[in-house]
Amino acid sequence: MGHEYKAIQWNKNKAVYDVYVFIAVAIFIGVFMAVGLQTHPSGHTADPVVLLIRALGATAFAMLTAILVIGPLARLSPRFLPMLYNRRHLGVMTFLVASAHFGLALLWYHSSGPLNPFVSLFASNPLYDSIPGFPFETLGFAAFLILFLMAATSHDFWLNNLSAPVWKMLHMLVYPAYALLILHIVLGALMMEKSMVYPIITGAAFLIVSGLHLYTGFREWAADSGMKSLKTKGWIDVGAPNDIPNMRALIAPLPKGDRVAIFRYDDKISAVTNACRHQNGPLGEGRVIDGCITCPWHGWQYKPDDGISPPPFTEKIATYNVRIENGRVFVDPKANPPGTRTEPAIISVQGRLPQCP
Amino acid sequence: MPLTEGVINPENKNPHDMFIGWDKAPAVDRRFLLGALPLGLIGAGGASWLIANELGDPGAGAWLTNATHTVTGFLATHPYPMIRMPDPAAPFGVRTILIVAQGKCTSALNFENLLDAPVTASGFLIQRKGRQMLEVPPFADEWLIPAASENIADNISLPKGGTNLPVFVTPMEETLGTARLVGTIMDSKCFFGVMKPARGKTHKACASLCIRGGIPPSIWVRTKDGRETVMLMTTANGDPMPMDILPLVADPVEAEGEILRVGDLLQFRADADAYKRI
Repeated sequence: MGHEYKAIQWNKNKAVYDVYVFIAVAIFIGVFMAVGLQTHPSGHTADPVVLLIRALGATAFAMLTAILVIGPLARLSPRFLPMLYNRRHLGVMTFLVASAHFGLALLWYHSSGPLNPFVSLFASNPLYDSIPGFPFETLGFAAFLILFLMAATSHDFWLNNLSAPVWKMLHMLVYPAYALLILHIVLGALMMEKSMVYPIITGAAFLIVSGLHLYTGFREWAADSGMKSLKTKGWIDVGAPNDIPNMRALIAPLPKGDRVAIFRYDDKISAVTNACRHQNGPLGEGRVIDGCITCPWHGWQYKPDDGISPPPFTEKIATYNVRIENGRVFVDPKANPPGTRTEPAIISVQGRLPQCP
Repeated sequence: MPLTEGVINPENKNPHDMFIGWDKAPAVDRRFLLGALPLGLIGAGGASWLIANELGDPGAGAWLTNATHTVTGFLATHPYPMIRMPDPAAPFGVRTILIVAQGKCTSALNFENLLDAPVTASGFLIQRKGRQMLEVPPFADEWLIPAASENIADNISLPKGGTNLPVFVTPMEETLGTARLVGTIMDSKCFFGVMKPARGKTHKACASLCIRGGIPPSIWVRTKDGRETVMLMTTANGDPMPMDILPLVADPVEAEGEILRVGDLLQFRADADAYKRI
């Protein structure tokens, strides 16, 4: 967690993750170049620089697509959590590949001419009033700027100084960036390549990304809807203690749109915000491990009763008052300031679940 | 809906089976990753193969940068820089090599007092289906020198005049008639072989920048039986095309104009406003 800053934080899992991504990128670009140089007969071989520009662009698109599907997949199955864990490094690597694509395209297509390359980027194709003729390069450049902004602020230094909600909002720009990238491809490469493979691949990527997000969003909406009818006397009835799996949580929506995670750990129940201090990860989908709520995204931990990270860490999250009445668990929707200790609700003998082994 | 459904995933009851980045991965995750990660690599290679294998034919053409090519002939700069030489093996007995600068700024070339004189030029050869172009350094003089008569005699069979210098008559313009063409405006340099592919929307900005920099524009026409014809574009008066043509570069266009043959080169003469995007 964030008690000190390092330029790049690695541990064994992150190192394995980065090596794997590097190998995947090398395979993608290597296969692209090898096949691209062999596809057409001698004398019709594609320019290796143009081919490399395309290989880098296709790789960046594939990487960004992977980044965007990992999130919803991890919501659907915890098996995908290892892929989510080091997604930030994957994002920075995507930016580096996109930078190579952008730099090489700027050098090859727009430099050594009578115009400044950046002027050429915007002025060489003036058809801004035409949809099919629109200068697709400008869309790619806009997407690149967003990726730059995200990569530049990816470090925990910015996360801590911008605050998690602002940082998260900033990094939600990945969705406009993906939309710009799709348009960059549709109004660029797809306008000149005749094979149906390209619209099929691009369309499939878009449908998978948007479909997974819509599906997981619908699941959350359905779960929230099921909880809203349980509100009573200002406090929220989230169910019986038995409804909460031991060492895990239920997630309940709050009137102002936030979510609260209600954890049961043996005979106790405590409630904290569902948003991790780190990257707004869903704490309620995590576990109580070694007495601490553990975020499923990056393993940040908080004590259930006061929402404070165990020493030497100092991060704090909001807590909520909780009580048990008539065999039901109620949560006060008003959040306590981060780090406020609350008394855990104690499960009576009658409500106690069989002890876990 | 039971509260344990929805965002809560009912599997993985053991809290210690959750993957935590700073801890050893649980066995269930390791088993999953052992299967998924190789599939990911195969998927990356497969997707890449599919995308690269479906790329369209970039066309013929070559940019021979591995050796300097030297030509001797007569320099002309109108409508575009070129060197002409008699060549019995070439169509109509004349071979024309267009001159372009390295990069995209041919207008920066300095020809000084060598116009219509025998010259020797050195550079990289660019060629596509019998059409040739010489790429020369933009800010150096050594690439273009007055031709020595012995060099002329050695390299090409130019007729000698009484002054010990060769005599060469600029080929006559032969009018082939008026035609309405449907084709695409290209920058000749990239199209002859510098960039492959050098057509379509992804090359539009580059082609526009090249033509803005003085590289001759050509109109590329493909006949119904698949043959391609490339004609050097000039105005109706035979002058270089103005910048008005730039927005139409790389797009399908049609235009009515006059076709001429000057030596082995075809010219299409039509003013910029005669071109319409289709």
